[in-house]
Amino acid sequence: MHDAKTLKPSDLGRQEEQLIVVDNLMPLLPPYDQPGMERPFGEVKGAWREKYCTSLDGFVGIDTLQRPKTKEEEKEFVQKFLNGLEKILSDANNGMLQPLLLSLEYCAKCNTCSEACHVFQASGGNELYRPIFRSEALRKMIKKYFTPSGRLLGRFVGADIEVNWESIARLGELAYRCNLCRRCAQTCPLGLDNSIFAKEIRKIFSQELGIAPSPLHAKGSMIQLKTGSSTGITKPAFLDMLEFMEEDIEEKTGKKIKFPLDKEGADILLIHNAGEFMAWPENPAAFAILFEEAGLNWTLSTELMGYDSVNYGIWYDDTQAKKIALQQFQTAKHLGVRRIVIGECGHAHKAAAVTADRMAVGEDKIPVESFLPLLWDLVRTGRLKFDPQKNNFPVTLHDPCNVVRQMGIVQPQRHILKQICPQFREMTPHGVDNYCCGGGSGFAIMNSLNFGQFRDKVSGRMKFNQILGAFQDTIEDPSIPKYVCAPCSNCKGTIRELLEFYHTTEKFNVHYGGLVELMVNALPDLEKPYLEFLQA
Amino acid sequence: MAEIVVGTLTLALDEDGFLENADEWNEEVALALAATEEVVLTEEHWELINYLRNYYAEYNVAPMVRKLVKDSGKSLQEIYALFPSGPGKGACKIAGLPKPTGCV
Repeated sequence: MHDAKTLKPSDLGRQEEQLIVVDNLMPLLPPYDQPGMERPFGEVKGAWREKYCTSLDGFVGIDTLQRPKTKEEEKEFVQKFLNGLEKILSDANNGMLQPLLLSLEYCAKCNTCSEACHVFQASGGNELYRPIFRSEALRKMIKKYFTPSGRLLGRFVGADIEVNWESIARLGELAYRCNLCRRCAQTCPLGLDNSIFAKEIRKIFSQELGIAPSPLHAKGSMIQLKTGSSTGITKPAFLDMLEFMEEDIEEKTGKKIKFPLDKEGADILLIHNAGEFMAWPENPAAFAILFEEAGLNWTLSTELMGYDSVNYGIWYDDTQAKKIALQQFQTAKHLGVRRIVIGECGHAHKAAAVTADRMAVGEDKIPVESFLPLLWDLVRTGRLKFDPQKNNFPVTLHDPCNVVRQMGIVQPQRHILKQICPQFREMTPHGVDNYCCGGGSGFAIMNSLNFGQFRDKVSGRMKFNQILGAFQDTIEDPSIPKYVCAPCSNCKGTIRELLEFYHTTEKFNVHYGGLVELMVNALPDLEKPYLEFLQA
Repeated sequence: MAEIVVGTLTLALDEDGFLENADEWNEEVALALAATEEVVLTEEHWELINYLRNYYAEYNVAPMVRKLVKDSGKSLQEIYALFPSGPGKGACKIAGLPKPTGCV
């Protein structure tokens, strides 16, 4: 095992059982600075070591990356990876080639990005998680095979890395230690983007080797293409859920609401992350209450690919991303709606409004908007009225990276919260300088083997500390409820796991949820609180 | 890969203890799966298991947790008391439903 402070990218090829351990975690704020407040990492099972790639840091992110059984299998694996590497450097990679080459060639190793990375900081400065560590390893492999000097002079010109199953598999795992949050790219004085390397490595694994974490691929985008939703919700199940939710809304609020379905020519097609219907139905219900209250001309779609906004492809596979995005546009086109509005799901914002913007052309394109400016408009113009005293408890806001840093939607959510939450307080830092929740790029739903521990203790650590920081004044008083507003399904799922892992709801009365639930909770005509934790 | 022995059959389980092949489920298998969760099945457990299986047979997906709570007349706390790993990881596993997928 290596010292985490002296590990080098060329060490990825070393034949060792495990390169480093994470044993110097960033301290947490009170009351989590006391001993016994955090469970230690579990042991890595011997059977996992034999079957998967645990030789990086002991965690398994890719549950479909299995050790080869024969020399031939290993050879094929290495060759396919090199083929993929060649492809991402060719014109065929036209959407990504230029930023990839710039990031490949111009890094000055100033390490400004390391200061910005929540994973590197949370790990206590473990070299393995330094943002340029992964980039350097990939640079060395590229140099070794695809430059004349590297081919000829090898380690004398920096191409000092063994390229074998172990080093490639470790690089694949390492691509899943980055949340693709792009905080490093924002801070880079040269405008380079380390997350591109992580994403391109994932892409080679999926598109060339057929290897991707099953929650993202086999149990994710493949189920979505087959059933219409990565949750497996089919149209009949969707209709059953909506009917149930209509009854539930009436019982909770006294409001009779009928979800508008497949309304042709509507102004707005609202698409939610379908996980909301399964796990947090109060969120799409709150959207319906607000949209009806404001008298919007909107609809949901019950067509295949029309009721789930997710697109896991953008995290690991361009071809899956494109298939999903184009089918989602098709659904909107069939309905003849004027625009698509994406609900509280960050990566769906990026997928539909930014990434797919370059996939659909001409008549296939439908305008895609975020729910946030729309909601602020309804509040600003007085079409929705609120009683802020109903939300008179500490509230803080988590900024989903895809909505805030990637798309620059920073103020609408704050304007709304300032009007409806008298005790709103910011996290430090926030806005475009926010930290990822720790669940970005798929980590939120990657729970196989021991990967959840990496998320809860390492990649989510900075966010957990920010939550504690925002509530330092009241955290130790369990009689005061506190609310983390996280307007994104993935962030919400991660924060749920964090609050469970650290027993923060149970011990300190900290809750989480979206933005629209807080808005409905503050509607003046509701007799009972909409938020369940206030109903006791 | 983990496995579970039920009578003369050896069934494959995934890393979280869910059946790899949901078609292999029967009541005896449920008893064996319950043992992995340290749950002794009573009439109350079976009511929930049967509800989950019927819903799954009709819609090919597990019901929303809120619907399970309402239709069974049991609070979430009561469901957790019966299935300590919760409705998804506990009750669905013993009922032979696939592991929940997507952003849930």
